[in-house]
Amino acid sequence: MANLNGKYAVVGVGTSRFGKLQGVSTMGFTLEASKRAIADAGIARDAIDGVLVMMPAIMGEQHGWAARVAAYLGIEPTFSATLDMGGATACGSVQTAMAAIDAGYCTAVLCCFATQNWPQGVAMQLFGSDFQVPYGDVGAITLMAHIKRRQQYEHGFTDEHYGKIAVTWREHAMRNPDAQMKKPITLDDYLKSRWVAEPLRLFDCCPNTDGGGACIVTSLERARDLAKPPARILGAGQSHSSEMIHPHGYDREHWGGKPAAALAFGLAGVTPKDIDVAQFYDAFTPRVIHDLVAYGFCQPDEVGGFIHGGNLSLTGSLPSNTAGGLISEGHLSGFGHIREGVRQIRGECGARQVKDAELCLVTGYGGAPHEAPPTVSYSALVLGR
Amino acid sequence: MFAIEKPLPRPTEDTAPYWDAAQRGELRMQRCGDCGHVRFPPSLLCARCLSEEHEWVKLSGRGTVFSWIVVHQSQHPAFNADTPYNVTIVELEEGPRLHTQLVDCANDQIRIGMAVEVVFDKINDEVTLPKFRLLR
Repeated sequence: MANLNGKYAVVGVGTSRFGKLQGVSTMGFTLEASKRAIADAGIARDAIDGVLVMMPAIMGEQHGWAARVAAYLGIEPTFSATLDMGGATACGSVQTAMAAIDAGYCTAVLCCFATQNWPQGVAMQLFGSDFQVPYGDVGAITLMAHIKRRQQYEHGFTDEHYGKIAVTWREHAMRNPDAQMKKPITLDDYLKSRWVAEPLRLFDCCPNTDGGGACIVTSLERARDLAKPPARILGAGQSHSSEMIHPHGYDREHWGGKPAAALAFGLAGVTPKDIDVAQFYDAFTPRVIHDLVAYGFCQPDEVGGFIHGGNLSLTGSLPSNTAGGLISEGHLSGFGHIREGVRQIRGECGARQVKDAELCLVTGYGGAPHEAPPTVSYSALVLGR
Repeated sequence: MFAIEKPLPRPTEDTAPYWDAAQRGELRMQRCGDCGHVRFPPSLLCARCLSEEHEWVKLSGRGTVFSWIVVHQSQHPAFNADTPYNVTIVELEEGPRLHTQLVDCANDQIRIGMAVEVVFDKINDEVTLPKFRLLR
């Protein structure tokens, strides 16, 4: 297998406006974020010959999505694909970009996405399967509530553990001018927040976010000529599995994402102990607990104490979700995490900068949690100076 | 007044035997003709051995609660009036797990591991949904 460790880099990152922004199109957000990533990289638009785009969550009949994004940007790429891994697409598209460049298909790749939660001109289709939706089991949130239930049942996590994550992320968001949720919250506020899908509370959940994000991947060699210090891609991995309902069998020990972690750390040649800053895919707080175990930072019985001890805060041993995460910055489908990871590596994060951040883990998670069987993709990147 | 109807199953060749059985008051799933694995959701082939040989066997209808949640904020307008309602994952005696609803049990009384049995909720002349209640 080709050793891609450090051969490629993320050289530009950008997000569009984001928040509650009805009226902006999915394409509009995609183009805005892409233009900003291109400008951030200081790369010529015409130098981009690869375009990878996440399939919009609300798709309708949008054929040729990635090629259309390229057309609107005035690019005729030699490699392009629309990728369908939901929140795992951001890290997965960076990994795919590396492979495509290494194969000689292209030399510089734009990876991007956008979500408009209320798109115009798109046939709305209800997510979910015949084996779930008729029971009022709709959307990703119900599976995540089941995951929290099983985490608490199997490992004894208390609501205070989940609450501490939400409070910590909010403290980070208060140091991020772009974050959507900047009002301080306390653990008591968390414990009093209403049930959305019990055992998930409102403050376990990220806000629905309209917006887009993008990044540019090219070789380290070319990166040296560009505007900003490159964030080298040291490791990448992905894995895909069903959750709770497994058509192949019913293994109680299943812990999704462990293969992605082994691949990413293995390629990078580092261990969880070496990581200086992490961006965990946190559409809901139980995801953070899951990733702390799946990525090898803690054993299941250590996670509670690890969180309670403040290790995830900016001054802790593993500063995480430093821009506020999906939960407080906004649901940018993991592209926010890549942007933040790159900025931490560059040292651009101002009041939330982690000192001497040399290695950053970024995780992704998503796909079809609302289908039968609930099926999700895990992806990860290790970024470094 | 314009009412939003609850979404109902739209059976396919793969799934019709499951829904047809439910209409007759039976819980049936596919058992692999080669390796014996009982699978769910319905599929053309066995995810364990890829065999297409199968038989739709009648299950005991008994199982235990694997997980349950209570939806307070509905994600679909047709279910708004039902909140708070439970969505429960039942692990059947034969192995498979399925998403369903527990009936005749207060939401705050549900616990993981409770013994449950299937009941059939006739929605209309074409659709019956398997649900579960505490084992009697």
